[in-house]
Amino acid sequence: MKQPTIKPFGEQAILIEWKPSVDNKTLTAVLQVKQLVLQTYTKEVLETVPAYSSLAVFLKKGVQQYDFINQLSKKLKKIPKAQSEISRVLHIPVCYNPKFALDIEDVAKTNNLTTSEVIELHTKPTYKVYFLGFLPGFPYLGGLDKRLQTPRKQTPREIIEAGSVAIGGTQTGVYTSSSPGGWNIIGKSPLNYFSIEKNPPALLKAGDFIKFIPISEDEYRKIKVEVDADIYTIGEEAKHG
Amino acid sequence: MVEVLKPGLFTSIQDKGRTGYRRLGVPLSGAMDTVSAAMANKLLDNSTQAAVMEFTMMGPRFQFKAPTFIAICGAGFHATINDVPIELGKATEISENDVLKIDHPDSGNYGYLAVLGGFKTEIILGSRSFYNNITKKKRLEKGDVLKFSTTTSKKIVRHASFSIDEHHFNDEAIEVYPGPEFDLLPKKFQKIIMDTTLKIGSQSSRMAYVIEGLEDISAKEIITAPVQPGTVQLTPSGKCVVLMRDAQSTGGYSRILQLTEQAICKLAQKRVGKTVYFKLIEHL
Repeated sequence: MKQPTIKPFGEQAILIEWKPSVDNKTLTAVLQVKQLVLQTYTKEVLETVPAYSSLAVFLKKGVQQYDFINQLSKKLKKIPKAQSEISRVLHIPVCYNPKFALDIEDVAKTNNLTTSEVIELHTKPTYKVYFLGFLPGFPYLGGLDKRLQTPRKQTPREIIEAGSVAIGGTQTGVYTSSSPGGWNIIGKSPLNYFSIEKNPPALLKAGDFIKFIPISEDEYRKIKVEVDADIYTIGEEAKHG
Repeated sequence: MVEVLKPGLFTSIQDKGRTGYRRLGVPLSGAMDTVSAAMANKLLDNSTQAAVMEFTMMGPRFQFKAPTFIAICGAGFHATINDVPIELGKATEISENDVLKIDHPDSGNYGYLAVLGGFKTEIILGSRSFYNNITKKKRLEKGDVLKFSTTTSKKIVRHASFSIDEHHFNDEAIEVYPGPEFDLLPKKFQKIIMDTTLKIGSQSSRMAYVIEGLEDISAKEIITAPVQPGTVQLTPSGKCVVLMRDAQSTGGYSRILQLTEQAICKLAQKRVGKTVYFKLIEHL
């Protein structure tokens, strides 16, 4: 993979950029450099924000941007090839019952599918969590089946409830807190995706994989009770490479 | 302690912000005008981390339940203690049961009230800054009671004062660095951006300020990438916004410019309808 470029981003941050792309290889490179930066430059670095093909590094006060860029450029030349890692695949329960799935019929109609086909196509892939953003804990997922792509709604809803599973254009995701939004709601997940009481506060992290597991309304309620009591254990498997 | 009698238009507690959680999608937050907030803390010899109260357009009203010292800085608000006008930009002694009223500002948007030792609201993820769904409240409400440190033994230099820095409030130049996508804009657009007199649009908030005047130009969407307070985004339909303290951590619009920290503070104090222009400074 080609070396990333490094440039200043305002006064106290730098931006490391790879060729703009949404793919696993680029993300692996972004996360590897993020790890390296956080481990090597604890004195200089305040925090980092990764995205699909770039990484922002926010510097502490007093750190000279250009000195840091020079140091980092040298370091990145010697970076070892990314090792294939073992990641976790989290099982995310989703109730696709029309009661929660306010737009599942629209999504089906748009794509000439039945609602059961929508559910089947949505629960089949293993999605990659590229990074978190938009809302606290909100995962940007890769892997939505092309046959499910649906344009955002013309008029966004004023409130989409936390846990809503939705499709917007080429993307799918879970609203991790209640928010206005224009995505098509196709289900609801009873899990808690962000909690200030937890460490780390976000359920998911960049590099994770998830699978949506269809559940009934009864199961939804049962899991919700367990989640609220903090006794629910999320299903998990390992994924190599 | 201090009790909120009237919350004002939008009053919140802010400090230097919530660093370390942006990779999880948690905004930085913090005082809109950090220069004015720091000044209020400095007058009381508070730590730079001390939490202050931020208010806008219509100030709050409180009753103090314990003696302390306060300092108000920022926009040109008017304030009274027990209906007697007080001078802003100066440490002022408060007695038990004093009622502090903060009115409308003559100029600017955001005012800051510091109290001796800082407000002691809950620390969530390393910060006291209010933010929806992170702190219990996003704004103060009538009846809220806020704690502050009750040690008044600290020596306060009562004659120290800051006068309002006219430049900070009146200068129309907003200093910017080229943003990550600036070089991708046609030269003609770059010139228009720097030469146009711009206006602050309504719908400006702690999350973003809308900038009017660049409707004739536009920029492509990008693959979602990191943004920060002070990032200037231009959309394919020619809408321009400057992200402010409660901005999301990533975004999908072209990042054409990046404000300096000082410029974010200056812009924060510009009211809807005020004119500004971008002044490009190159990275060294």
